[in-house]
Amino acid sequence: MTPASGRAAPHALSRRANRSRSEAIIGALLFATAAITVVTTVAVVFVLAEETFQFFREVSIVEFLTERRWTPLFAEAHYGISPLVLGTLLVATIALAVGVPLGLGAAIFLSEYASPGLRRQLVPWLELLAGIPTVVFGYFALLTVTPVIRALIPGVNLFNPLSAGLVMGFMILPTVSSVSLDSMQAVPRSLREAAYGLGASRFEVVTRVIVPAALSGIIAAVLLALSRAVGETMIVTLAAGQRPAFTFDPRETIATMTAFIVQAATGDQPQGSLSARALYAVGATLFTITLSVNLIAQAVVRRFSEQYE
Amino acid sequence: MSAAPQAPEARGGWTVGEEAKRGRARRRHVGRAFAAITIVPVVLAVAFLATLLGGIVTDLFSWQVVASRNSAESFAWRQAPFGGDAVVRLELAAQGVDAAEIESTLDDPEQRRRFFARNRVEFMLYTDQGPFRWVVTNMRDRSIELVDLIPGFAQRSDLEAALEPGQRLLLNPWLDGGFFQRVASRNAVSAGLKTALVGTLIVILGVVALAIPIGVGTAVYLEEYVAKTRLARLLEVNIANLAGVPSIVYGILGLSVFVRLMQFGPSLLAAIFTLTLLVLPVVVIAGREAIKSVPSSLREASYGLGATRWQTVWRVVLPSAAPGIATGVVLAVARAIGETAPLLLVGAAAFVPYMPEGPFSPYTVIPVQIYSWISENSAEFRHVAAAGIATLVSVVGALYGVVFVIRRRLERTRA
Repeated sequence: MTPASGRAAPHALSRRANRSRSEAIIGALLFATAAITVVTTVAVVFVLAEETFQFFREVSIVEFLTERRWTPLFAEAHYGISPLVLGTLLVATIALAVGVPLGLGAAIFLSEYASPGLRRQLVPWLELLAGIPTVVFGYFALLTVTPVIRALIPGVNLFNPLSAGLVMGFMILPTVSSVSLDSMQAVPRSLREAAYGLGASRFEVVTRVIVPAALSGIIAAVLLALSRAVGETMIVTLAAGQRPAFTFDPRETIATMTAFIVQAATGDQPQGSLSARALYAVGATLFTITLSVNLIAQAVVRRFSEQYE
Repeated sequence: MSAAPQAPEARGGWTVGEEAKRGRARRRHVGRAFAAITIVPVVLAVAFLATLLGGIVTDLFSWQVVASRNSAESFAWRQAPFGGDAVVRLELAAQGVDAAEIESTLDDPEQRRRFFARNRVEFMLYTDQGPFRWVVTNMRDRSIELVDLIPGFAQRSDLEAALEPGQRLLLNPWLDGGFFQRVASRNAVSAGLKTALVGTLIVILGVVALAIPIGVGTAVYLEEYVAKTRLARLLEVNIANLAGVPSIVYGILGLSVFVRLMQFGPSLLAAIFTLTLLVLPVVVIAGREAIKSVPSSLREASYGLGATRWQTVWRVVLPSAAPGIATGVVLAVARAIGETAPLLLVGAAAFVPYMPEGPFSPYTVIPVQIYSWISENSAEFRHVAAAGIATLVSVVGALYGVVFVIRRRLERTRA
C-alpha cells in the first residue's frame, strides 16, 4: 500500500480480514484431510469389532480359542481359530528363518563392507525386490519353487508352507535390511573410530560395536518383517493352500488367516450368516496380532534406541 | 576389547610373540570369513530377483503343437510385414476362397467382425515352416502339446518329426500386441488383458486424484499447521500404525463400508476408495519428509515479506518439496497397481469380458486377473499369467525407475 492513499486503509483492512478468513477455511480443510486417517482407524476397529461381537454371540470364545478344527464353510461347522493361527505362524517362522539372517547380513555388508558407490548401486535393487507385487511372488512360489522342493524332498504337498515361507523370506528381506541398514548408518562415526583406535578389527567393530549399538533398530526390523509376514495374503493363498490343518509339518497343505479371508470373501456366503461373520472374527484376530507386533516394534525403538549427542 | 595389543612380557620372549602372531592371523581369518559371509545374502537376493524375472521371461514363450481346423499354412514375414488384412487375404486364399470373395469379406463390416472374432492373426517366432511367420489360429484349433521354451529347443526336431498332416509346431510369444487388445476368455489362447488394463488405469487415476490432495493436505497440516501437541502426536502414531495394517484388512473395511454400507456394490468406486485409504500413509510419510527438508530460511523469508501461512505453504514450501512428494506419490501408485488381496474383497471379478461403463460397473484389474489365471491351474494359462505378470512388473519397474531418477537429482542438487 502506498502511504499517500488514505482511503486504501479500510480496503487493506477488509482484505486482511478476508485473508484471515480464507486462512481459517484452509486450516479447517487441512484438518479435515488429516482427520480422514483417524476416521479410517476408527472405521477399521468398529467394523471388525461389531461383526466379531455378533460372531461371539453364536460361537463361544472358549470354542474359538480351544477347538482344533476350523470348518465354517462345511455342513458340520467348527470354529477353532488355532489351525489358522498355527498355519500363519508356520509360514511366518519359515519366512523369518530365511529373511532375517539374509536381511541382517545384507545390511551389515551394505553398511560396513560395501563402498558407498556399490551401496548406491545395490540398494535400489533391494527396494525393487520389496516393490514386486505379491501376486508375482505367489506365482513364483507355486510354479517355480514348489516343483523344485517337491523334487528334492519327498512327501511335500502341491500346496505347502515351505515354498510359501521360502519365497516370503525373500519378500521380507528388504524390510529387514533397509530398517537395519538405517539404524547401522545412524551409529556415530566416533564410536567406530574409537573402536578402530583401540586396535579392533573390522569384524570386531561390526559384531561388538555396530550391531549392539543398532540393536533396537534391528529388533524393530525383525518385528516389522514378522508383521508383514503375518499379514501377507497372495503368496500363502496361492502356494500354501486353503485347507486349515492343525499341524507343525511344513510339508502339509495348510491355510493361513489371510488365505481364509480370501476364500470366505470370494465364495458366496450370505451376508450376515455365521460363516460370513467368521471372516470378521479372523480379520479381527489378524488385526490384533499385527497391531500388537507393530506397537511393540515402536516401543522398542522408543525405549531402547541409543541417544547420541 | 580382546583386541588390545599385548606386550611381549612375563612369559619370556618368543612364545608370546608367536602366540600374538597366531592370534593376529586367526583374527584375520575370522574377519575375512565373515566379510565373505556377509556378501552371500546380497548375492542371494540379487540371484533370487534374477531367477524370478528370468522365469517370467521364459514363461512368456512356449512351443505348441496345434491341430489346425483350417489351413495349416503359415506366411512369411516378408509377405505381410504388418500383419492385419494382408495375412487374412493369404489365409483365405490358402483355404481356397477366391479373390473376389476375399475382398467382399474384408469390405463387409459384419463378415469382417465375425472373422476377427473367430480367428486370431498371430506373429510366431518360429514354425515348422520356418522362423518369423504369421499364423492364423482358430478358436477350434486343438492343442496337442505344450512344451516350455528351454526344453523345447532340445525337443524341436523330435516334435517336428512327429507332426501329423494338419498339425503345426509354433513358438508362441504370449505377450504380443494382441494380448492387450483381447478381453477375458475361458480359452487361454484368446485370453487378453484389455479389460484389466482399462480397470487398472481408471482405478489408479482415481486413487491419484484422491490420494494427492488428502495425503499432501495431511502432511502439510502435520508439519506446518498443528503445534507439536498431543493431537499431533496422536495423528502421527495413528498414521504409523495404519502403514502397518495388512492390506487385506483394508479389503475388509472396503467390503463393509464402501461395498455394503454405502451401497457402491462391487464397483470401480469401491476399489478406488479402498486403495486410496491403503496408500494414504505412503503419501503422508513421504510428504512429511519432503516438507521437513525444506529449509526454514525459505519460510522465514516468505513470512518476512508478509505472506500468510497458506501463501507460504502454497508458493514456497510445496514447490520446494515437490520432488519428494512426487516420489511418495509414484511409490503409492506402484503399491496400488500391484495390490491384489483387498480388491478380491471389494469385488474385482475374475472374469469380466466387457469394458467398465461407469463408476458403479463391475471391473477387474491386472493383479486380480493374474490371480485368476494362475488359479486356472493349466499349462496354457500359466503362460497367459506370465504375460500379465511381465506387463505388471514392467510398469512397477518403470515407476521405481522414475523414483530413482528423482532421488538422484535431489541428491545432486543438495550436494
